[in-house]
Amino acid sequence: MNKWIWTVTAVILLVTLVLEFAFLGDYDSHWWNAIPAFYALWGLVGCAVMIYTAKWIAKNLLNRDVSYYD
Amino acid sequence: MIEILTIPGILFIAGALLLTLIPQKLRSPLFLLFPLLAFVIIWMRPDGYQVTTAFLDYELILMQTDSLSRVFGLIFSFIALGAGIYAYHLKDLGQQVNALAYAGGALGVTFAGDLLTLVIFWEVMAVTSTWLIWARRTPQTDAAGMRYLLYHILGGGLLFAGILWHLADTGSLAVVTLTQAYTPANVLMLLGVGVNAAAVPFHTWLADAYPKATITGSIFMSAFTTKTAVYVLIRMFPGWEILIWFGAVMTLYGVFYAVICKDIREILSYHIVSQVGYMIVAIGIGTEMALNGSTAHAFNNILYKTLMFMAAGAILYSVGSSKMSHLGGLHKKLRWVLLLYMVGAFSISGIPLFNGFVSKGLTISAAGYAGNETAMLVLLLASVGTWLSVGLKLPYFTWFNKQDYEGEVKPVPANMYIAMGITAAACLFFGVWPQALLGLMPFEESYNPFYLYHFVEVTQILLMTFVVFWLLKKKLAPELVTVLDIDWFFRKAAPSVRSLFVVKVDRFYDRTEEMILATTGRLAKAFENPMLWLNPFTDKKNQATSYSQAMEVGMSFILLTILVMLLWFFLI
Repeated sequence: MNKWIWTVTAVILLVTLVLEFAFLGDYDSHWWNAIPAFYALWGLVGCAVMIYTAKWIAKNLLNRDVSYYD
Repeated sequence: MIEILTIPGILFIAGALLLTLIPQKLRSPLFLLFPLLAFVIIWMRPDGYQVTTAFLDYELILMQTDSLSRVFGLIFSFIALGAGIYAYHLKDLGQQVNALAYAGGALGVTFAGDLLTLVIFWEVMAVTSTWLIWARRTPQTDAAGMRYLLYHILGGGLLFAGILWHLADTGSLAVVTLTQAYTPANVLMLLGVGVNAAAVPFHTWLADAYPKATITGSIFMSAFTTKTAVYVLIRMFPGWEILIWFGAVMTLYGVFYAVICKDIREILSYHIVSQVGYMIVAIGIGTEMALNGSTAHAFNNILYKTLMFMAAGAILYSVGSSKMSHLGGLHKKLRWVLLLYMVGAFSISGIPLFNGFVSKGLTISAAGYAGNETAMLVLLLASVGTWLSVGLKLPYFTWFNKQDYEGEVKPVPANMYIAMGITAAACLFFGVWPQALLGLMPFEESYNPFYLYHFVEVTQILLMTFVVFWLLKKKLAPELVTVLDIDWFFRKAAPSVRSLFVVKVDRFYDRTEEMILATTGRLAKAFENPMLWLNPFTDKKNQATSYSQAMEVGMSFILLTILVMLLWFFLI
């Protein structure tokens, strides 16, 4: 199961990278277009940051016992 | 008169009254008739169609049609039909009547040509939707419904105050586009609408009440209140820059909580805040393309968010819980619900060939064309959170994570599947054929979502989000918790405020009353017999029959004298 998921993910990512470098090389509508594979990085970093901050804030500030308001 | 009954909002409310008069078996089929009728009527009304009536010195425009109100009217009546099918098995008159009237309120606001009509339908929505929370009849939902109602009374009050101020300033009640000026009237109206749009920090009513509403009630609620507010914002406040910031905060705040929360209906509720944020950012940008983006996104959101709420409701119906810690391993027993849910999840995450791909693309591109790169990046980050929270976390911990679900699984009624099937089909239809949707937009739109850059952008973001989720999914594992939000401040303050302004005041009145009664009692006792004070000859016991002998002789003598005098007077 795991191996299958990783293979499909890697293949799709590769396809998008090929498409980006082969066909979208000359686009420059935004400053971040200068960074290669920017959207992949944005997803990677964004998701990791979101999970860690959400977890940290939930644990230290927001989570309470289930009957807190009762 | 007949023409007034063809106004969708009034038609629904009249229908709701009619439902109370007919036998139970006919109620569910008749319920469906009204959205169908409304859909046809709205489709047929030409631009500029008006129904007016006189009220006091004002001319009210009960219905006014243009391309913006039409597209909202069509989707509202469509989803009322879908939600009606979903609730077909329901035998609760109160819920059916209120759900229909609630949808009527939303349609009434959509077609209102003047602010008075608008605010009346606005309040109809507030009251009727509260019933859909109370209908669960538990102490928790009673309290949540009251908080919800109080919040909407506040919002409606702000809006109405703004409208009256606006009337005093301009002498006009017409629903028009307001130029950006922070006058008291405009600010009050904006705040009032902002409450219904669940703009942070006025969003807690949504996340508090929607997960607690009835299974079928939350379907209606997820579609109408916030989207009606979005409609009014597009109509009255396009291009108001402050909305960009409110919207941007909402997109991130909503997904952030959707990542934290552990109850599937709560996750979806917080996620509404995020989605409405997208629409509000676009309204703040205010270009024609952005307003189309906001409209298209509201339209699509009604479809896929309702679909997701339907699937979550089906789980709650079938398993009896919506808490992720009670779920997991349902992929064998509720496979079709998973499949239908994933259509919604793919749509909301903007996967190509699903409808969210079109409207999200349009909205984000509009931000780009307007030169607002910060807004673009915020929206892209929010779409990471969307995919993470409702596209990956929710389905993973509900249908997978365990080998098999061990508890009892009730079969899901066929009508629920049909309703989910229809909405899922609509999500796919508008995803594959976006021109059908873009043709309905308020402004002419030539946007084509199917281009290489868009495909690369979306695929890379979603793919890497998936990778990180897969590696870190244990961090999001279900727990049984209450997650605090801004409502903590007033929910915690409520007991002291109640004690200060209700209990203490009450007690003061009670004490005063007791004191007055006690004093009166004492005085009455003391002056029971005035003779005790007036006549020094009475005995201590002060009985009327036991005067002293001397007194009795004296009184007899007086009485005799009077009798003699009377005889003298009358006889002689």
